[in-house]
This record gives sequence, C-alpha cells and structure tokens, in this order.
Amino acid sequence: MKYVGKSIPRIDREKVAGDAEYAYDFTLPGMVYAKLVAAPYAHAKILKVKYDEALKVPGVLAVFTGADFPFKVGIYAADRDVLAREKVLYYGHPVAAVVAETLEAAEKAAELIEVEYEPLPPVLDALEAMKPDAPLVHEKLHEYKHAPFIYPKPGTNIATYLKLRKGNIEEGFSKADVVVENTYYEPLISQGYLENWVGIARVKSDGTVEIWSSHQSPFAVRNLLATSLGLPIHKVVVHHMYLGGGFGGKAGLLLEHIPVLFSMKLGGRPVRLELNREENSFYMAQRAGYYFKMKTGATKDGKLVAHWGEYILDAGAYADYTVNIARSVGLKPFGPFEIEHVHVDSYAVYTNKVPTTAFRGFGLMEVLFAAERQMDLLAKKLGMDPVEFRLKNVLVPGKSLTHTQERLREDAGDPAGAIREAARLIEWGKPPEQPKEPWKFRGKGFAAFWKGPVQPSNAAASAIVKLNDDGSVDVLVGTGEMGQGTITALAQIVAEELGIPVEKIRIAPERRTDMVAYTWQTVGSRGLFSDGQALIRALEDLKSQIRKIAAQVFRVFEDQIEIRDGKACVVGEPWECISLAEMALGYMYPNGNAIGGPLIGRGSHVPVRNTIPDPETGKSVPAPFYTFGAGAVEVEVDLISGRVKVLKAVMVLDTPAINPMLVAGQVYGGTVMGINIALIEELKFDENGRLLNPNFTEYKVARAGDIPDEMIFKTLGVGQKDAPYGAKGVGELTMLPWPAAVANAIANAIGVELYELPMKPDKIIEEVKKQRPELLEKVKEALKIKG
Amino acid sequence: MAEKLIPITLKVNGREYKVEVKPNETLLFVLRNKLNIKSVKGSCYRGECGVCTVLLNGKPVKSCLVLAVEADGAEITTLEGLAPFGTLAPIQKAFLEHGAFQCGFCTSGFILTAHWLLTHNPDATEEEIKEAISGLICRCTGYKQIIEAIKAAAKYYKQDKQKQ
Amino acid sequence: MAVSKSVIVFHTLLPEFEYFRPKTLQEALELLDKYQGDAKVMAGGTGLLFFMRLRWMQAKYVIDIKGIKELHTIKYEEGKGLTVGATVTLSELFENEIVKNKYPILWDGIRQLADMHIRNRATLVGNLCFGMPSADTAPALLTLKAKLNVVSVNGTRTIELKDFFKGEGKTALKPNEMVTSVFIPEPPEGAKGRYLKFVRTADDGPIMGIAVLVANPRDPAKRIVRIAFSNVVSTPIIIDEVEELFKQDKPLGELAEEAIKLIKSKVTPKSDVRGSRELREHLMEYGTRYLLKTLIEG
Repeated sequence: MKYVGKSIPRIDREKVAGDAEYAYDFTLPGMVYAKLVAAPYAHAKILKVKYDEALKVPGVLAVFTGADFPFKVGIYAADRDVLAREKVLYYGHPVAAVVAETLEAAEKAAELIEVEYEPLPPVLDALEAMKPDAPLVHEKLHEYKHAPFIYPKPGTNIATYLKLRKGNIEEGFSKADVVVENTYYEPLISQGYLENWVGIARVKSDGTVEIWSSHQSPFAVRNLLATSLGLPIHKVVVHHMYLGGGFGGKAGLLLEHIPVLFSMKLGGRPVRLELNREENSFYMAQRAGYYFKMKTGATKDGKLVAHWGEYILDAGAYADYTVNIARSVGLKPFGPFEIEHVHVDSYAVYTNKVPTTAFRGFGLMEVLFAAERQMDLLAKKLGMDPVEFRLKNVLVPGKSLTHTQERLREDAGDPAGAIREAARLIEWGKPPEQPKEPWKFRGKGFAAFWKGPVQPSNAAASAIVKLNDDGSVDVLVGTGEMGQGTITALAQIVAEELGIPVEKIRIAPERRTDMVAYTWQTVGSRGLFSDGQALIRALEDLKSQIRKIAAQVFRVFEDQIEIRDGKACVVGEPWECISLAEMALGYMYPNGNAIGGPLIGRGSHVPVRNTIPDPETGKSVPAPFYTFGAGAVEVEVDLISGRVKVLKAVMVLDTPAINPMLVAGQVYGGTVMGINIALIEELKFDENGRLLNPNFTEYKVARAGDIPDEMIFKTLGVGQKDAPYGAKGVGELTMLPWPAAVANAIANAIGVELYELPMKPDKIIEEVKKQRPELLEKVKEALKIKG
Repeated sequence: MAEKLIPITLKVNGREYKVEVKPNETLLFVLRNKLNIKSVKGSCYRGECGVCTVLLNGKPVKSCLVLAVEADGAEITTLEGLAPFGTLAPIQKAFLEHGAFQCGFCTSGFILTAHWLLTHNPDATEEEIKEAISGLICRCTGYKQIIEAIKAAAKYYKQDKQKQ
Repeated sequence: MAVSKSVIVFHTLLPEFEYFRPKTLQEALELLDKYQGDAKVMAGGTGLLFFMRLRWMQAKYVIDIKGIKELHTIKYEEGKGLTVGATVTLSELFENEIVKNKYPILWDGIRQLADMHIRNRATLVGNLCFGMPSADTAPALLTLKAKLNVVSVNGTRTIELKDFFKGEGKTALKPNEMVTSVFIPEPPEGAKGRYLKFVRTADDGPIMGIAVLVANPRDPAKRIVRIAFSNVVSTPIIIDEVEELFKQDKPLGELAEEAIKLIKSKVTPKSDVRGSRELREHLMEYGTRYLLKTLIEG
C-alpha cells in the first residue's frame, strides 16, 4: 500500500503556519457580547433577581434571567435550565446574563446584578444522594422529557440506572474459592482541553439559526439544538471549525442554545458567548466522580466465576452524557475477560456540584481502574502471576460470551496477543532494578483493557466524494477535527483507493451541517471506523461510475477497468488509460459528444447487527467493534516527596494503524493524560460545594517534565474485516489501563494497596503510614546523619 | 474614570502598527482583536498555559500578562513571523513531520519557544528542551513528538550558526 | 472571582485603571504618595495582572517602574553582598554568574520558580512584594538574611526580610512605600545550600519548599545551619532557633533530630488545595532530614 499504513504528515498544516481558524478566532460584524453571572450557593431558592442598575450601564442591550426561558434543554434527559429557574443547583450555576455592545460593558453590568436566595441544604456526595432522606436536586424529575433508554427515578436523585444480569450470581459465588471485595473511588475530574467554549450565534429573518462554536459533533449540536428549541432541523446550521481539544467534554450540545436564544431575543443580532477558563470550569460539564463497589470471585485454579457490582456515578447538577456513561459502565462492567455470572447495577446520581459529561474513555477508564485492581488482588490471593491469571480468563474471539452475552465475532481482535506482547515489552517477571536511594522503590504493574463505542444501535455516518476538474477530490464528511487526526486518515484512504497523492485531496476545515455529509457524532473512537466505512463506500460508488465511463470509452466490461495512479486503465494494458481529470465533469469524445457528467460518490454506514440492551439483563450487542489492548508500567515511588514517577510505559493495541505516527500521537497523549489522571488530577470542592480549582494553577495537567522516561507502543495489526483497512478506534483506548497499571505497580513497589484516585502524595504517604509504617522508619534511618 | 486611549507603536513581525489602546488592555487582546493576529491564542489568562506566547524583544513571554502599553516600541514575533507567507520555517516543518501537534491550539506557543531555544542553544539537551517548554501546556500530544520535532530541527539552527 | 453582593462574575478583562510609567524614582514616589492605597507598583506584571483580573487585588492607578533606570541594576561588592534592583528579572538573575556561583541557594530557588516565560518578566523583588507564602525565592533569601531597601517621599528604611511578611498577601510596606532593591549579604564562608521544592507536576507552585543553608558543619565554632520554608504557613518563614541549636557541640545526627523536633513544635502546617496538613508535616520532616544529610555529608 502506498498511502495507508504510512506515517504521512497531518493534512491540517495551517496549525503550524498559524492560520488555522477556531471558533475562538471567529467574529461577525455587529457581534455583541454575552456574560453569564453565577450563584454563590450550591443549592438555594432564587427569591428575587434585581438588575435595574445593570441595565443602566452604557452599551447594555439586555439582561436575561431564568424566567425568560421557561423550558429545559438536555441531551438524553431535558434536565437543564437555560439560566437557573426557581433554584440554583450548584455553586457557580448561571443565574442571569447580560448582553452588551462590548465585553467591558457586559462585565461591568454583570457585577451590578443582585440576587436574593434562600439557601437549601446541598447534597455533595453521591452516596449521600442515594439515601432516601437526601435533599432532592431535581424535585420535578417526573416532568422531565428523556430518551426511552434512560430511567430516571422521580422522588430520588437517580438520573438513570442500568441492570446487567448474566448467569446466576449466587451460583457463581458458590463456585468461588477466593473472593475479593472492595470499593473504589475517584472524585470529579476535568477534560482540560485548552480552547475554552465559545459560541457565536445569529438568527436570520427567515428563521434560520446559525451557530459557530467549539464542539466535537456538528450534527449532534444541530439535532439537539433543533429539538431543544423546537426548530426544524434544516433551519439550524452548525458550523464546525478546528477545535482546540474536546476529549468528550465537547460532545453533544454544549451552551449553543444560550447565544442562539439571546440572538432570537435581540432581533437576530450576532451574539458571542466566550468563556474564560474559570467560567469553563463552572459552566461546562466536567467528568463524573464515582464509587464502584465490586465483589469478584475465582476458583482456586484461577478461573473467574462471578462478578457483582454496584456502580454509582456522581453526575453533578446536570447529567448530560453521564446518564449514558452509567449505561457504558453497566454494559462493560469488567475487563476483557469471560465471567459466567455477572450481576451489576449502575446508577448516575444527581448532586449539587458542577454538571458532568463525557471524557475520553466514557466510563471504561473508571471501570478498568477498579476491575484491573480486582484482577491483581485476586491473583495475589490465588498466588498466581497476574499476567498468567489474565491470560487464563481473557475473551476469545469467536468463542467467548461478553458480559452482555454477546458472542464475540471471530475477527474481533487479539486480546490475548496484546496481553502477551505488553508483558514481553515490560519484561514481565524480571524484577526492576532498585535505585540506590533507599527512599525510592520501583515496581511493575499491568492492566488489560477493551472498549467499543457506546452509541445508539443505529449511529450512522455518511460521506460524499466529489471529483474535481483537475482530478483532485473534495471530501465531505461530518466528523469533527479536534486533533485526533481522523481527517488525515480519511485522506489517506481516499489517496489509496484512487491512487492519487494526498495533496490532491481536500477535506475542508469547516463543516457546515447543511453542506457536508451526516455523521452521528465525533465520539467513542468511532470516527475512523464509521466515517471511514461510509467513505470507502462513497469511493466504491465513485469508482464504479469511473469504471462505467472508462468501460464505455474503451469498449470493455466494467470489470476490465482498473483505477490506479489517478487513472482508469484497461486491465493488462496500462497504456490504455483515461485520467480522472478527463472524466471528472463528464468525458468528451474528440467529436464533442460528452458522457457522464460531474462525478460524485456517496456512501453510508450504520452499525450492523447492534441491538438495544434488554432493560432487565442488559443483554445486547452494544458496539460494532472492540479494540483490545494492554498496558504496563514501571514506576518509582519516592517516600520523601510522596510522588510516583512512571519510568516506563508500554501500550499494545491489537488493531492495525492507518497512520502509525498519528496513532503514536494518540498513544503518547493518552498515556501522559491517563497517568496524570491516575496520579494528581481532581476537582476539589469545599464543604459548601464550592469548586476550589477551576483553573490550571491548581488543576494540574501534565507538563513536559512529567512524561515517562520511556514510552513504547505497538500495534499488532489484527484487523476487523468490516473496519477500514481493518483499523479500529484508538483515541480513547490509550487512556484506559493507566490508573490500574500504576496502582498495581505501586503495590508491587511498596506493598501498599490503593483503591482511590488520584494517587497523589497525600494519599501515598497516608497509606504508607497505615499499611507499611516500617518503610518510613527505614527511610528515616537512611536519612540519619553520620557523626 | 475616563477611558483614556494611549497611542502606541508595535513592531510585529517586522511591520509597524500604530494603535490606540486602553491601559488595561493586554498585549494578547490587542494582537488578536486590534491587529487581527489570531495565531496567538488565549486560554487561562493567568500565565499558566502559554498558548499566548509571543517573542517580545526576542524573548518568549506570555502575552496575557503583558499590558499593551508596556510593549510600546517593542518588537514582537508571532508564528506568522517565522517564515514568508505560504512557506514554513524549519521548526514548523519539523512539527509537521513529527506529528508534534494535534488540536493545534498550543502549537504557536511551542513553536515560538522552540525557535527561541534553538536560536540560542542549538545543542539543547532533552532536559533543556523540557525545561524550556515546561511553561506550556499541551493536553493532546504527551509532549514526546514535540520534543522529537525540536531535536530534529536543531540541525538547521546549527547550520545557521555555522554560517554566521 | 469577585462575589458582588449575591452573584459571582468571573472576569475575562482587567479592571480599568490609569497607567503611569515614571522615568524617575522621585516621580514614582510622588504618585504613590498621592494615591496611597489606590495605586499599585508594577514591575514584571506577572503577579499584579494575575491578581487584578481575578479582582483579588484592586488598583485605580498602576505605576510601571520599568522606566526607572536606576532600579534595573545588579550590584555586587565582594565581601559585602549583592544588591538586586526592583526591575531585575528572574531570568537576568538566573543567567548571572555571581548569583549562580556565590548564591547557589538563591539560584536554586529562581531555577524552580514558575517557568522561563514568566521569569523573563517577573522580578525577584516582585516575588517578595505580594507577601505570598508560596514565594519560591523567599526561603533562600531568608536563610541569606536578606534585607529590603524601602523608600517613600518621607525617606528610606531597611526592612529585614523576616520582618517583611505579615500574613498571606500582607507585608510591612506602607501604602506610599516601595521596595527599590533587595540586599543579600555575602553568604557565610563555606556555605552550601539548596531549595527543595515539592510539587504536584512540573511547573507548579510549591506544595511547600525548604531552603537549607549549611556552613562548616563539622566545626561547632564556625558551624551555621539555617532552615526556612515556603507555603507551610501563611507566610514564608525561617525558624531562627535552628541556627542557635546547631551551635551546640553535639553529634550532628543528634542535632538534626533536635532540629526536626524543634521545627515540628514551632510549625503547624496548613491544609489547602495543594496538599493536606499531614502531607506537609511529612514533607517538612523528611525534606529537612534529606537536605541536612545531603548538605552536611555531601
């Protein structure tokens, strides 16, 4: 292959030149500025909003409050006020907004708004929120519209739940010789993308709504905006531009409805709402925290037999995608292993904290932290090597039944191969060399992983390919470009299929929903798989038209035409060719007769044979593919600083790569992000529910100085037949093993078992004191001054 | 308080701009909103993330924490100033060839910083590279390919130094 | 984040202020005197603009002192000490050979302060003047017994650095005063020192930091040991009694143990978003042990 499988440079080269355009850069003439103001209570009744003074500020056009927008919006459940009505649900909840000619005026007026509240007791913890007498975040849950597969429990804080039942759990545990039971916890975390959310909206006199905003999925924004505001879909035009990072935090509808509604109220004037970092931390949804209770049993010869779980997600005040993450963790409640008896209940629970939504991994990073810790703890009890224990239980394509009772297709991948290869690369079994400083301890840890997209069974994609006058190609796809590089991989596929260089292919940076082909969303590591399949079909469609014309010209059967190097040639006679340019707009014979006409290929994709989970058991085929892999680390724990450094990180993915350099970028990026989440990231709240670190000063993302000394990755090239060139998704997968692998390595290094994230210095020192106080005595001894 | 406008001169990428600014306008916002130089991004507005990096009189600074009035008379280089329009400087090419960017929002800050580093120290070690870029956040790449790109571009800066 | 009566506004823009760029110190002092607390001095701006956008600091008048030439000086007198003017940036000090060779403990603090981009603007004096407990250069300067040269229209005075910090965000400066320079005496003969900074990630503010300065450890008559901390309590602090303690003619191992005990009895660490009190207790104890051992034995 000439283009596929090659590390060609990304096609979005404007990014290194400086003229790549983001929504942040976009302006419209006559644009006015919106500013939201927030409530300083986690839970309070709104008694009165006063804004006469704000209206007097020169340049102010309007002040809006919740009362101006008496309806709710949302993704799977309409649980969200445009601006808080009746009560505020979290500290930082937008309670009013100003629109002004300038941002200066808007900010000045915002300070003059006064609100009177009656504070209510907040519920700030997910377990507390599950208790029967807990304060209710949403008293009118029974009135909310929601998708059919979401099950809110009115009168409680439960936003949804999912039941997974496989086999008979009592029978499973009766067969178990060893059982491990633990509760795992992680606080809320932040996606930490760099481009804060911004949206610029205008309404035209014919009722067309246009929005330019930072989002991942233009068609999801269009659909949700239209349904939320009761607009016809074709009257909503969403413009997707380069996106400064999303990581799930910009999936679905974000705040687009706000500038749209303001523009509607202001005679269609373009309205810009641009968040700064602090606002972004309060107004945009973050990632849910969780408590996962797990009880897992195995026989003495190392066969997993039973897994019981109660998974509780702390969804914050609005549950956005977290309701679907509750489904995600319920449907894939354990690692890539076969267990006969599984019984899991998962919940998303409202609390009075910032709203939550998707984050790269969509629940699987959370599940796998807990599940892959359970695996190590079971192996320890069994006296078995953790890698061997995993290989004994790993899913076998073509044979095994997954937790949702799906028989894996025979070309599903190579979970066992990934485990073996990762073990080889980390030199599993060979103990790490201990450093000479007696306060530093090294250990190795391992974790296996898997994931497929969590999406509706009919999540569709499409593609259009237009052949241009000179044989160049315009590709119209709907997938967003947020750095993951899907458009480069798609361009490589076009190049390969048509035999033309990548330079002759354009995938425009902007996607207008009324001008490009539909795709459901840019999430779940589905882009290349879904849009890629649609694109290959579009190219097939185009090629069949090319063959038809060439066959007519050369007077041969269509199957006697082959397309290579940008030409259609007679099989066996490579000198008998017509260039694609010659037929792009229709082929013309020497006498002037023309055939064909402009060539356009179209292709579609829907997941095949996926099913909706059974509400009682979760039985389903929930995803069109799974990517399997394994990660392993060598860590060094420093008992003076309490810090953990990952020295070496190994990742193996079973899939082939369309562009190895781009896959490497995903792996390195996901590894550094995943390890940092494991070690330090958390959103911290005080006892009143106030978020304490809505900024990069105190919410610490990794820096260049924090990366592992060595990062090694390998793809095994085991493809799924219906995937484009076999390639399955990787973007989210690269995050999944790290918390568990690092925790397992810490246990290996210092014999301390951890069940909570992040594994920050506070936690390390606290747990060493509890579990291995003698280590600190040893360090103290080593630090004694001689003489 | 009356909003007093102050006339200043900024020399950006070799071109002189005369512009009137308010005292409280940062260099970042003046570059973006008044001079329409949009390669310079903003994110944290508190000197943490470095997406607003420019070279101010030759040195990398975070333009969100510089007042425009302070930069009166200063020479400023942004990403657009590294190579003639339509071409890429060796450091930009290296970022492209090594996959050293993903979403691209931080890229301008990294390239400008790398350009400064290699101009002054084309033999920069991996540790020195990490130190130079430690004030910049990239949430996408995990930094590895950025470091590789900077290492790879060093040879062009060495050649330039030898020529001088 | 300003809580304005009953709403929070997260500002993107700086508040309005009037800007002055005096060319002489006298001019600056007169402005400061005229506007008193409504005026703030700006050198690098990395602190002031940070705080002002968040409305944690207010100023109707900003006095940019970078135009005052005499403040941009580094003066070293052999045997006496180093004077660093108020507009000297941390990068300039980082590249200064005297600082690197004669004041390695300070150089160590500068090296670990924020990042190169910030150090290209931020100044040593500015790092002290906000009165932040997390000031990375403060512990080193405390062990070096630095003094601040302070002026106002009423005259000049000198403030010992250890008397300068008056609680988080508070200093001994009067509203019409400014620091023109910091004087750092010549370190004791044979002194070695390090600043050990504990962080969550690279380029972080300190969870806490420890500066230890040691001279002639094996000679009780000439032995000097000083220990100072950043971000353990509401100000940077030096534990004065440590120096006295180490004057005793006892085995060093014993003295180190006594010093740890003393520090623990004198300092109750705070808990905040960067770390718990328990973590800081541990870091304080083990970090101090580590530095004492390395500097005494190494």
